[in-house]
Amino acid sequence: MTVASQRRGGGYLERPAPSGLADVVEVILDKGIVIDAYVRVSLVGIELLTIDARIVIASVDTYLRFAEATNRLDLYEKGGKDLTEAIGDLQEGGASKKTSGAVKGVKKALTGGDDDEDGPRKRPAKKASRSRRSQEA
Amino acid sequence: MTSLTDSTDVMTEEDELTGLYVYAIVADEPDRVPASLVGLDGSPVELVRHGRVAAVVGRMALDRPPGRRADLMAHSGVLDALDASGPVVPVQFGTVLPDRDAVVDDVLDPDVARWTALLEALSGRRQFNLRATYNQAAVLQEVVAEHREVAELRERTRDLPEDLAHPDRIRLGELVARAVDAKREDDAAMVMELVLPHVVSYAPRHGKGIDQVLDVAFLVDDDRRGAFEDALESVAEAWHERIRFQLVGPVPPYDFVEGDWWV
Repeated sequence: MTVASQRRGGGYLERPAPSGLADVVEVILDKGIVIDAYVRVSLVGIELLTIDARIVIASVDTYLRFAEATNRLDLYEKGGKDLTEAIGDLQEGGASKKTSGAVKGVKKALTGGDDDEDGPRKRPAKKASRSRRSQEA
Repeated sequence: MTSLTDSTDVMTEEDELTGLYVYAIVADEPDRVPASLVGLDGSPVELVRHGRVAAVVGRMALDRPPGRRADLMAHSGVLDALDASGPVVPVQFGTVLPDRDAVVDDVLDPDVARWTALLEALSGRRQFNLRATYNQAAVLQEVVAEHREVAELRERTRDLPEDLAHPDRIRLGELVARAVDAKREDDAAMVMELVLPHVVSYAPRHGKGIDQVLDVAFLVDDDRRGAFEDALESVAEAWHERIRFQLVGPVPPYDFVEGDWWV
Protein backbone atom coordinates (compact mmCIF):
# COMPACT_ATOMS: atom_id res chain seq x y z
CA MET A 1 0.00 0.00 0.00
CA THR A 2 0.98 3.54 -0.47
CA VAL A 3 2.52 5.00 2.61
CA ALA A 4 0.55 8.09 3.40
CA SER A 5 2.54 11.03 4.58
CA GLN A 6 1.13 12.35 7.79
CA ARG A 7 0.26 15.98 7.46
CA ARG A 8 1.08 16.77 11.02
CA GLY A 9 2.51 14.75 13.84
CA GLY A 10 0.47 13.63 16.81
CA GLY A 11 -2.92 13.95 15.19
CA TYR A 12 -5.90 12.06 16.51
CA LEU A 13 -6.69 10.81 13.03
CA GLU A 14 -4.64 7.65 12.69
CA ARG A 15 -2.92 7.12 9.34
CA PRO A 16 -1.94 3.46 9.20
CA ALA A 17 0.02 2.26 6.19
CA PRO A 18 -1.31 -1.23 5.49
CA SER A 19 1.44 -3.69 4.80
CA GLY A 20 0.36 -7.10 6.00
CA LEU A 21 -1.75 -9.56 4.09
CA ALA A 22 -4.91 -8.95 6.11
CA ASP A 23 -4.67 -5.20 5.47
CA VAL A 24 -4.19 -5.74 1.77
CA VAL A 25 -7.08 -8.18 1.59
CA GLU A 26 -9.19 -5.62 3.35
CA VAL A 27 -8.41 -2.98 0.75
CA ILE A 28 -8.62 -4.99 -2.45
CA LEU A 29 -10.84 -7.99 -1.84
CA ASP A 30 -13.73 -8.17 -4.29
CA LYS A 31 -12.90 -4.71 -5.57
CA GLY A 32 -12.09 -3.54 -9.06
CA ILE A 33 -13.45 -4.10 -12.53
CA VAL A 34 -14.92 -7.56 -12.99
CA ILE A 35 -14.01 -9.14 -16.30
CA ASP A 36 -15.51 -12.33 -17.57
CA ALA A 37 -12.14 -13.98 -17.41
CA TYR A 38 -11.21 -17.39 -18.73
CA VAL A 39 -9.52 -18.21 -15.46
CA ARG A 40 -10.28 -16.72 -12.12
CA VAL A 41 -7.70 -17.19 -9.45
CA SER A 42 -9.19 -18.76 -6.38
CA LEU A 43 -9.29 -16.92 -3.09
CA VAL A 44 -9.69 -20.04 -1.02
CA GLY A 45 -7.73 -19.66 2.17
CA ILE A 46 -7.54 -15.92 1.99
CA GLU A 47 -11.16 -15.12 2.68
CA LEU A 48 -10.93 -16.75 6.07
CA LEU A 49 -8.72 -13.95 7.30
CA THR A 50 -11.43 -11.34 6.98
CA ILE A 51 -14.22 -13.11 8.78
CA ASP A 52 -13.39 -11.85 12.26
CA ALA A 53 -14.65 -8.36 11.45
CA ARG A 54 -18.04 -9.48 10.22
CA ILE A 55 -20.04 -10.03 13.36
CA VAL A 56 -23.60 -9.12 12.65
CA ILE A 57 -25.71 -7.71 15.43
CA ALA A 58 -28.80 -9.89 15.28
CA SER A 59 -28.61 -12.84 17.58
CA VAL A 60 -29.06 -13.85 21.16
CA ASP A 61 -25.43 -14.76 21.15
CA THR A 62 -24.57 -11.20 20.29
CA TYR A 63 -26.90 -9.89 22.94
CA LEU A 64 -25.17 -12.02 25.51
CA ARG A 65 -21.83 -10.66 24.45
CA PHE A 66 -23.09 -7.12 24.84
CA ALA A 67 -24.55 -7.97 28.21
CA GLU A 68 -21.29 -9.51 29.32
CA ALA A 69 -19.29 -6.50 28.19
CA THR A 70 -21.70 -4.17 29.91
CA ASN A 71 -21.54 -6.19 33.11
CA ARG A 72 -17.77 -6.00 33.04
CA LEU A 73 -17.45 -2.26 32.66
CA ASP A 74 -14.96 -0.65 34.94
CA LEU A 75 -17.80 1.00 36.82
CA TYR A 76 -18.13 -2.27 38.63
CA GLU A 77 -14.51 -2.49 39.62
CA LYS A 78 -14.29 0.86 41.31
CA GLY A 79 -14.57 -0.62 44.75
CA GLY A 80 -18.01 -0.10 46.18
CA LYS A 81 -19.12 3.00 44.39
CA ASP A 82 -22.72 2.82 43.45
CA LEU A 83 -23.88 3.40 39.93
CA THR A 84 -24.97 6.98 40.46
CA GLU A 85 -21.53 8.03 41.62
CA ALA A 86 -19.91 6.13 38.82
CA ILE A 87 -22.07 7.81 36.25
CA GLY A 88 -21.22 11.13 37.80
CA ASP A 89 -17.57 10.34 37.20
CA LEU A 90 -18.34 9.37 33.67
CA GLN A 91 -20.06 12.64 32.95
CA GLU A 92 -17.05 14.51 34.26
CA GLY A 93 -14.87 12.60 31.88
CA GLY A 94 -12.96 10.74 34.58
CA ALA A 95 -14.18 7.29 33.76
CA SER A 96 -13.67 7.64 30.06
CA LYS A 97 -10.10 8.72 30.60
CA LYS A 98 -9.53 5.71 32.72
CA THR A 99 -10.87 3.34 30.11
CA SER A 100 -9.46 4.94 27.02
CA GLY A 101 -7.65 2.50 24.84
CA ALA A 102 -9.99 -0.29 25.78
CA VAL A 103 -11.05 -1.11 22.26
CA LYS A 104 -8.95 -4.18 21.88
CA GLY A 105 -9.61 -5.61 25.28
CA VAL A 106 -13.33 -5.23 25.09
CA LYS A 107 -13.43 -6.44 21.53
CA LYS A 108 -11.75 -9.58 22.75
CA ALA A 109 -14.31 -9.89 25.49
CA LEU A 110 -17.06 -9.48 22.95
CA THR A 111 -15.61 -12.03 20.63
CA GLY A 112 -14.81 -14.62 23.24
CA GLY A 113 -11.14 -13.90 23.77
CA ASP A 114 -9.57 -15.10 26.96
CA ASP A 115 -7.57 -12.14 28.17
CA ASP A 116 -10.40 -9.74 28.76
CA GLU A 117 -9.67 -9.40 32.46
CA ASP A 118 -6.73 -7.15 31.90
CA GLY A 119 -7.83 -5.94 28.51
CA PRO A 120 -9.27 -2.57 29.43
CA ARG A 121 -6.06 -1.47 31.12
CA LYS A 122 -3.71 -3.08 28.75
CA ARG A 123 -2.92 -0.49 26.17
CA PRO A 124 -1.54 2.67 27.68
CA ALA A 125 0.16 3.55 24.44
CA LYS A 126 -0.85 6.43 22.29
CA LYS A 127 -4.23 7.59 23.38
CA ALA A 128 -4.02 7.16 27.12
CA SER A 129 -1.23 9.69 27.23
CA ARG A 130 -3.28 12.44 25.68
CA SER A 131 -3.86 15.36 27.92
CA ARG A 132 -6.66 16.96 26.01
CA ARG A 133 -10.14 15.70 26.60
CA SER A 134 -13.13 15.25 24.45
CA GLN A 135 -15.89 17.82 24.63
CA GLU A 136 -18.46 15.21 23.79
CA ALA A 137 -17.43 12.32 25.93
CA MET B 1 -8.66 -24.41 -22.58
CA THR B 2 -7.68 -26.67 -25.46
CA SER B 3 -7.79 -23.78 -27.88
CA LEU B 4 -4.93 -22.16 -26.00
CA THR B 5 -2.46 -24.59 -27.48
CA ASP B 6 -3.09 -23.09 -30.88
CA SER B 7 -1.49 -19.83 -29.91
CA THR B 8 2.24 -19.42 -29.55
CA ASP B 9 1.44 -16.47 -27.33
CA VAL B 10 0.55 -18.72 -24.43
CA MET B 11 3.45 -21.10 -24.76
CA THR B 12 6.73 -20.48 -23.02
CA GLU B 13 9.95 -21.92 -24.25
CA GLU B 14 9.57 -24.67 -21.69
CA ASP B 15 6.21 -25.45 -23.23
CA GLU B 16 4.33 -24.66 -20.03
CA LEU B 17 0.85 -23.24 -20.06
CA THR B 18 0.78 -19.57 -19.12
CA GLY B 19 -1.81 -16.82 -19.20
CA LEU B 20 -1.89 -13.08 -18.96
CA TYR B 21 -2.74 -11.76 -15.54
CA VAL B 22 -4.59 -8.45 -15.90
CA TYR B 23 -3.87 -5.82 -13.24
CA ALA B 24 -5.45 -2.65 -14.47
CA ILE B 25 -6.40 -0.37 -17.32
CA VAL B 26 -4.55 2.89 -17.82
CA ALA B 27 -4.32 5.64 -20.41
CA ASP B 28 -1.86 4.72 -23.16
CA GLU B 29 0.69 7.43 -22.57
CA PRO B 30 4.50 7.46 -22.79
CA ASP B 31 6.17 6.29 -19.57
CA ARG B 32 2.84 5.54 -17.95
CA VAL B 33 4.22 2.37 -16.33
CA PRO B 34 7.49 2.31 -14.34
CA ALA B 35 10.02 0.35 -16.38
CA SER B 36 11.15 -2.01 -13.63
CA LEU B 37 7.69 -2.89 -12.34
CA VAL B 38 7.18 -6.59 -11.64
CA GLY B 39 4.07 -8.46 -10.53
CA LEU B 40 2.97 -12.02 -9.84
CA ASP B 41 5.69 -14.63 -10.13
CA GLY B 42 8.16 -11.78 -10.40
CA SER B 43 7.13 -11.32 -14.01
CA PRO B 44 7.64 -7.89 -15.52
CA VAL B 45 4.44 -6.06 -16.34
CA GLU B 46 3.66 -5.33 -19.98
CA LEU B 47 1.18 -3.15 -21.78
CA VAL B 48 -1.47 -4.35 -24.20
CA ARG B 49 -2.32 -1.20 -26.14
CA HIS B 50 -5.55 -0.45 -27.86
CA GLY B 51 -6.60 2.99 -28.98
CA ARG B 52 -6.12 5.49 -26.18
CA VAL B 53 -6.08 2.91 -23.41
CA ALA B 54 -3.86 0.02 -22.39
CA ALA B 55 -4.18 -3.01 -20.16
CA VAL B 56 -1.38 -3.62 -17.69
CA VAL B 57 -0.67 -7.34 -17.75
CA GLY B 58 1.93 -9.88 -16.72
CA ARG B 59 2.62 -13.44 -17.73
CA MET B 60 1.63 -16.06 -15.19
CA ALA B 61 2.12 -19.82 -15.03
CA LEU B 62 -1.17 -21.67 -14.74
CA ASP B 63 0.22 -24.90 -13.34
CA ARG B 64 0.27 -24.12 -9.67
CA PRO B 65 -2.25 -23.60 -6.89
CA PRO B 66 -3.43 -20.02 -7.33
CA GLY B 67 -4.29 -17.32 -4.85
CA ARG B 68 -1.17 -17.36 -2.74
CA ARG B 69 -0.35 -14.58 -0.34
CA ALA B 70 2.51 -13.49 -2.55
CA ASP B 71 0.04 -13.14 -5.44
CA LEU B 72 -2.15 -10.80 -3.48
CA MET B 73 0.76 -8.70 -2.32
CA ALA B 74 2.15 -8.55 -5.85
CA HIS B 75 -1.22 -7.46 -7.25
CA SER B 76 -1.44 -4.77 -4.58
CA GLY B 77 2.11 -3.61 -5.26
CA VAL B 78 1.52 -3.17 -8.98
CA LEU B 79 -1.69 -1.25 -8.38
CA ASP B 80 -0.02 1.01 -5.83
CA ALA B 81 2.77 1.83 -8.28
CA LEU B 82 0.29 2.62 -11.04
CA ASP B 83 -1.87 4.69 -8.72
CA ALA B 84 1.10 6.77 -7.65
CA SER B 85 1.80 7.85 -11.22
CA GLY B 86 -1.60 8.57 -12.71
CA PRO B 87 -5.24 7.52 -13.01
CA VAL B 88 -5.79 3.78 -12.96
CA VAL B 89 -8.78 1.46 -13.27
CA PRO B 90 -8.06 -1.58 -11.07
CA VAL B 91 -9.17 -4.97 -12.36
CA GLN B 92 -10.38 -7.44 -9.78
CA PHE B 93 -7.75 -9.65 -8.21
CA GLY B 94 -7.34 -12.99 -9.93
CA THR B 95 -8.23 -12.09 -13.51
CA VAL B 96 -6.28 -14.12 -16.06
CA LEU B 97 -6.85 -14.20 -19.83
CA PRO B 98 -5.23 -16.54 -22.33
CA ASP B 99 -3.37 -14.09 -24.52
CA ARG B 100 -3.00 -10.53 -25.80
CA ASP B 101 -5.75 -10.95 -28.37
CA ALA B 102 -8.20 -11.89 -25.64
CA VAL B 103 -7.22 -8.81 -23.63
CA VAL B 104 -7.98 -6.59 -26.62
CA ASP B 105 -11.10 -8.40 -27.76
CA ASP B 106 -12.69 -9.11 -24.38
CA VAL B 107 -11.52 -6.24 -22.18
CA LEU B 108 -10.35 -3.16 -24.06
CA ASP B 109 -12.20 -3.02 -27.38
CA PRO B 110 -15.78 -3.56 -26.18
CA ASP B 111 -15.53 -0.71 -23.65
CA VAL B 112 -12.99 1.80 -24.91
CA ALA B 113 -15.37 4.70 -24.32
CA ARG B 114 -16.10 3.51 -20.78
CA TRP B 115 -12.42 3.14 -19.88
CA THR B 116 -11.56 6.52 -21.34
CA ALA B 117 -14.36 8.27 -19.47
CA LEU B 118 -13.50 6.51 -16.23
CA LEU B 119 -9.81 7.38 -16.48
CA GLU B 120 -10.65 11.02 -17.14
CA ALA B 121 -13.06 11.09 -14.21
CA LEU B 122 -10.43 9.58 -11.89
CA SER B 123 -7.74 12.03 -12.96
CA GLY B 124 -6.57 14.23 -10.10
CA ARG B 125 -8.56 12.23 -7.56
CA ARG B 126 -7.55 9.59 -5.01
CA GLN B 127 -9.36 7.10 -2.84
CA PHE B 128 -9.17 7.08 0.94
CA ASN B 129 -10.69 4.45 3.23
CA LEU B 130 -12.05 5.61 6.55
CA ARG B 131 -12.78 3.27 9.40
CA ALA B 132 -14.29 4.57 12.61
CA THR B 133 -14.48 2.16 15.54
CA TYR B 134 -16.03 2.59 18.95
CA ASN B 135 -14.06 2.42 22.11
CA GLN B 136 -16.43 -0.21 23.43
CA ALA B 137 -15.98 0.60 27.10
CA ALA B 138 -16.61 4.30 26.52
CA VAL B 139 -19.69 3.78 24.41
CA LEU B 140 -21.12 1.14 26.75
CA GLN B 141 -20.68 3.53 29.64
CA GLU B 142 -22.60 6.13 27.67
CA VAL B 143 -25.38 3.62 27.12
CA VAL B 144 -25.53 2.72 30.82
CA ALA B 145 -25.64 6.38 31.73
CA GLU B 146 -28.32 7.26 29.20
CA HIS B 147 -30.73 4.35 29.64
CA ARG B 148 -32.26 3.75 33.03
CA GLU B 149 -33.47 0.24 32.16
CA VAL B 150 -29.99 -0.75 31.01
CA ALA B 151 -28.50 0.49 34.26
CA GLU B 152 -31.08 -1.43 36.29
CA LEU B 153 -30.66 -4.64 34.33
CA ARG B 154 -26.93 -4.33 34.63
CA GLU B 155 -27.18 -4.07 38.40
CA ARG B 156 -29.49 -7.05 38.50
CA THR B 157 -27.46 -9.35 36.23
CA ARG B 158 -23.84 -8.61 36.89
CA ASP B 159 -23.47 -11.15 39.66
CA LEU B 160 -25.13 -13.97 37.75
CA PRO B 161 -22.88 -16.79 36.57
CA GLU B 162 -21.30 -15.75 33.29
CA ASP B 163 -22.48 -18.76 31.35
CA LEU B 164 -26.10 -18.33 32.33
CA ALA B 165 -28.37 -17.16 29.51
CA HIS B 166 -30.76 -15.52 31.90
CA PRO B 167 -33.72 -13.67 30.32
CA ASP B 168 -32.65 -10.47 32.04
CA ARG B 169 -29.20 -10.79 30.58
CA ILE B 170 -30.58 -11.34 27.09
CA ARG B 171 -32.86 -8.34 27.59
CA LEU B 172 -29.89 -6.28 28.75
CA GLY B 173 -27.86 -7.27 25.72
CA GLU B 174 -30.72 -6.54 23.37
CA LEU B 175 -31.26 -3.07 24.83
CA VAL B 176 -27.55 -2.32 24.67
CA ALA B 177 -27.30 -3.59 21.10
CA ARG B 178 -30.19 -1.35 20.06
CA ALA B 179 -28.77 1.64 21.87
CA VAL B 180 -25.38 1.15 20.23
CA ASP B 181 -27.08 0.82 16.85
CA ALA B 182 -28.84 4.12 17.41
CA LYS B 183 -25.58 5.76 18.44
CA ARG B 184 -23.83 4.34 15.41
CA GLU B 185 -26.45 5.78 13.13
CA ASP B 186 -26.25 9.23 14.70
CA ASP B 187 -22.47 9.31 14.92
CA ALA B 188 -22.00 8.04 11.38
CA ALA B 189 -24.43 10.62 10.04
CA MET B 190 -22.58 13.40 11.80
CA VAL B 191 -19.20 12.32 10.47
CA MET B 192 -20.57 12.07 6.94
CA GLU B 193 -22.14 15.52 7.23
CA LEU B 194 -18.74 16.97 8.13
CA VAL B 195 -16.85 15.15 5.41
CA LEU B 196 -19.16 15.13 2.42
CA PRO B 197 -18.57 18.76 1.43
CA HIS B 198 -14.94 17.85 0.74
CA VAL B 199 -15.34 14.68 -1.34
CA VAL B 200 -16.37 13.80 -4.88
CA SER B 201 -18.14 10.63 -3.87
CA TYR B 202 -18.26 7.88 -1.31
CA ALA B 203 -18.98 4.15 -1.23
CA PRO B 204 -19.77 1.97 1.79
CA ARG B 205 -17.27 -0.83 2.29
CA HIS B 206 -17.62 -4.03 4.33
CA GLY B 207 -19.15 -2.57 7.46
CA LYS B 208 -21.04 -4.42 10.18
CA GLY B 209 -18.39 -5.04 12.81
CA ILE B 210 -19.88 -5.07 16.29
CA ASP B 211 -17.94 -1.97 17.33
CA GLN B 212 -17.85 -0.31 13.95
CA VAL B 213 -19.19 3.18 13.36
CA LEU B 214 -18.21 3.66 9.73
CA ASP B 215 -16.35 1.79 7.02
CA VAL B 216 -16.45 3.87 3.89
CA ALA B 217 -14.36 4.77 0.86
CA PHE B 218 -14.08 8.37 -0.29
CA LEU B 219 -12.97 9.74 -3.61
CA VAL B 220 -11.23 13.05 -3.03
CA ASP B 221 -10.00 15.74 -5.39
CA ASP B 222 -6.28 16.37 -4.90
CA ASP B 223 -6.89 20.03 -4.17
CA ARG B 224 -9.50 19.22 -1.49
CA ARG B 225 -7.39 16.69 0.28
CA GLY B 226 -6.19 19.11 2.94
CA ALA B 227 -9.71 20.22 3.82
CA PHE B 228 -10.87 16.60 3.84
CA GLU B 229 -8.12 15.53 6.22
CA ASP B 230 -8.64 18.59 8.42
CA ALA B 231 -12.35 17.82 8.76
CA LEU B 232 -11.56 14.26 9.82
CA GLU B 233 -8.85 15.40 12.21
CA SER B 234 -11.33 17.74 13.89
CA VAL B 235 -13.91 15.06 14.51
CA ALA B 236 -11.24 12.55 15.50
CA GLU B 237 -9.96 14.99 18.10
CA ALA B 238 -13.40 15.86 19.44
CA TRP B 239 -14.36 12.20 19.82
CA HIS B 240 -10.99 10.66 20.49
CA GLU B 241 -12.04 9.05 23.76
CA ARG B 242 -15.02 7.27 22.28
CA ILE B 243 -14.22 6.65 18.61
CA ARG B 244 -10.99 5.65 16.91
CA PHE B 245 -10.58 7.06 13.39
CA GLN B 246 -8.26 5.39 10.92
CA LEU B 247 -7.72 6.78 7.45
CA VAL B 248 -5.93 4.64 4.89
CA GLY B 249 -4.76 6.13 1.67
CA PRO B 250 -4.37 7.26 -0.89
CA VAL B 251 -5.09 3.84 -2.34
CA PRO B 252 -6.00 2.91 -5.92
CA PRO B 253 -9.67 3.67 -6.63
CA TYR B 254 -10.83 0.10 -6.08
CA ASP B 255 -14.27 1.19 -4.93
CA PHE B 256 -15.00 3.66 -7.72
CA VAL B 257 -14.57 1.74 -10.94
CA GLU B 258 -17.37 -0.78 -11.06
CA GLY B 259 -20.13 1.18 -12.78
CA ASP B 260 -20.13 4.90 -13.40
CA TRP B 261 -22.72 5.83 -10.80
CA TRP B 262 -20.55 8.48 -9.20
CA VAL B 263 -19.20 10.16 -12.34
